[in-house]
Amino acid sequence: MPRKLYVFGIGGTGSRVLKAMTMLFASGVRLENDFDTVIPIIIDPDTGNGDLNRTKDILRLYQEIRNQVDHPDDFFAQEIKTINELTVNRAVVNPEYFQFQLRDTDMNTFNQYIGFDGMSDDIAEKDDKNFVRLLYSEQNLRSLLDIGFKGNPNMGSIVLDQFTHSDDFTRFGQTFGNDDAIFIINSIFGGTGAAGFPLLLKNLRGNANIPRHVWISVAPIGGITYLPYFSLSRQEEINAESFEEKAKIAMDYYNRTIISQRQINTLYFIGNRGNTNHQEYAVGGQGQRNNAHFLEMAGVLAILDFCSNINVLQPDTQVKEFGIEKNTENISFVDLNIENAKRLSAPITKFKLYTEYLAKGLSRALNCSRWTKSNVKMTTSNKQSLLDNQYFGSIEFKTQIQPFNDYFDEWLKEMKDNRPSFNPFEEEITADNALELVRGQVPKGDKSFKAIDVQNCLLTDNVAIRSSEKKHTMLIKMFGKSTDRVLSRKNLIIR
Amino acid sequence: MKDAFATIYETWFGIYSPDYDLIYTNLYDGGGYIKLGLSFALIPLLLWLLFYFLWRYPYGKIWHWLIWLGVSVVVVFSVSYGIANSEIFASGNQALNDALADSSTGYMDYAASLPWRYAFVNMLFTLVLGFIYSLILKQFSKIQIHLPF
Repeated sequence: MPRKLYVFGIGGTGSRVLKAMTMLFASGVRLENDFDTVIPIIIDPDTGNGDLNRTKDILRLYQEIRNQVDHPDDFFAQEIKTINELTVNRAVVNPEYFQFQLRDTDMNTFNQYIGFDGMSDDIAEKDDKNFVRLLYSEQNLRSLLDIGFKGNPNMGSIVLDQFTHSDDFTRFGQTFGNDDAIFIINSIFGGTGAAGFPLLLKNLRGNANIPRHVWISVAPIGGITYLPYFSLSRQEEINAESFEEKAKIAMDYYNRTIISQRQINTLYFIGNRGNTNHQEYAVGGQGQRNNAHFLEMAGVLAILDFCSNINVLQPDTQVKEFGIEKNTENISFVDLNIENAKRLSAPITKFKLYTEYLAKGLSRALNCSRWTKSNVKMTTSNKQSLLDNQYFGSIEFKTQIQPFNDYFDEWLKEMKDNRPSFNPFEEEITADNALELVRGQVPKGDKSFKAIDVQNCLLTDNVAIRSSEKKHTMLIKMFGKSTDRVLSRKNLIIR
Repeated sequence: MKDAFATIYETWFGIYSPDYDLIYTNLYDGGGYIKLGLSFALIPLLLWLLFYFLWRYPYGKIWHWLIWLGVSVVVVFSVSYGIANSEIFASGNQALNDALADSSTGYMDYAASLPWRYAFVNMLFTLVLGFIYSLILKQFSKIQIHLPF
């Protein structure tokens, strides 16, 4: 029976892991145990956050492309929906529905939000004001909420409490099925994620006002908590030197209130102690646009692992940590454990070859190779390619396929430039050495894109990859198969 | 089959003279016509099968097809010339050999041009059949279906 997985991404880290998840789904990664639909939900008051907006744009493109693929079975196979789509029961692409809206965080400072400003200095309320001052610094109280909580979970826990009373949260409950599951992504060393995770969990398990509370309260819930894995270029209002201390305090709290209380089925921890990775300092807003990091992709493995083991969950909370086989600053597929390498190597390498091909190989084949020709004379229409000049010049190709591929390349490049670097591919890939893309592996024979073009030609007549109604069907399905055949035959992927 | 090929060469293209009947009788009885006919029928077929089904080059253009047509013409021309030459001048037919050896019969002078004529006829057939084969075989080709057009 088809199941849904609701993935809550809290704060900037949550958005970046959702981005990595979307990239892996685009590459053909799928959840096991009948999880056919994933519903990403972003919880972040920082609506102008660069990471959040980039993730929403990627999710939008994913949906737009997938909606134009008939029964995707490799690339873009995993369905991603918003809660709104589930509610209205039709495909309406609007990335705003990926984010739970928080009220009164647009222009307000924290003291306005909690009504601190409205309290008088009369003796009756003066004690209350002083009590608030014990909990929050002047800087906290003056903080604008539209750029998040700037690493202050004591603020986040107050503001985020509202979303559990929101219409979005009600709709979440209304769409929840009895076989569905929940996964929560947060960082422990910031503001939004550290505060939002226990709050969300508490409401999922105990808030009887949510529709279908009976199912939600006993639903399988997994979570991944990010320990510090990056530092900041400057130490100002957000001080990266406090990340570790804050993480320890939060973990102690999680241990007492979540793990010991069996509030969650599986809790994954991931981090990079002694990391040398410095992100550009930004308290929030458009400036917070951190480069993608390998650990964010590794976090998606936790989601995959959770779904794989959904039928053998233990009554006690299971705690799992992520690790790699070789301690290196330059990570490749062979440095991962064999199970993770098998999960990631084929899809990422295939999608990389596909994007490289469209960027550097297509020009040679276009209107020359059979798979790009729709005007072949004296033959039947089912042998004409749907991927002709007109398709590659279409607005859908230019505004959906190309931007998504650009995001994918940017994502890989950012992971390569980060520390530790995830760098499984060669730096310079040209049309002539395209099959040398996997670092350290030189395949025998022709290394150009020719093998891809041959496979595409062989696949052109295949009825299963053709659809004149859904425009991207042929491109997405054809390259899913052709890249697989070429890379498998050249032994370039780990299976 | 030999009647069909004999008709093609002798009737359609007029490569026949009752004055040199020994040559034509030898080609008819000795299987020369069959060899010549099969060379223009089968060699292009084999070459176009290679072109459409074994040549895995995905960037084929019209000039590739034209070159292949040229190759098949040259191959058939050469093979046909060789067959005709061998069937006429190296046959086991004693009467024909004697006639060729006797210069007063005029056989040798007449026969000298025949291999060229058969090769030329076969070349024409190769062009026509090559085009027809292409139109048929391309329907089943996965890579060169777009050639010649």
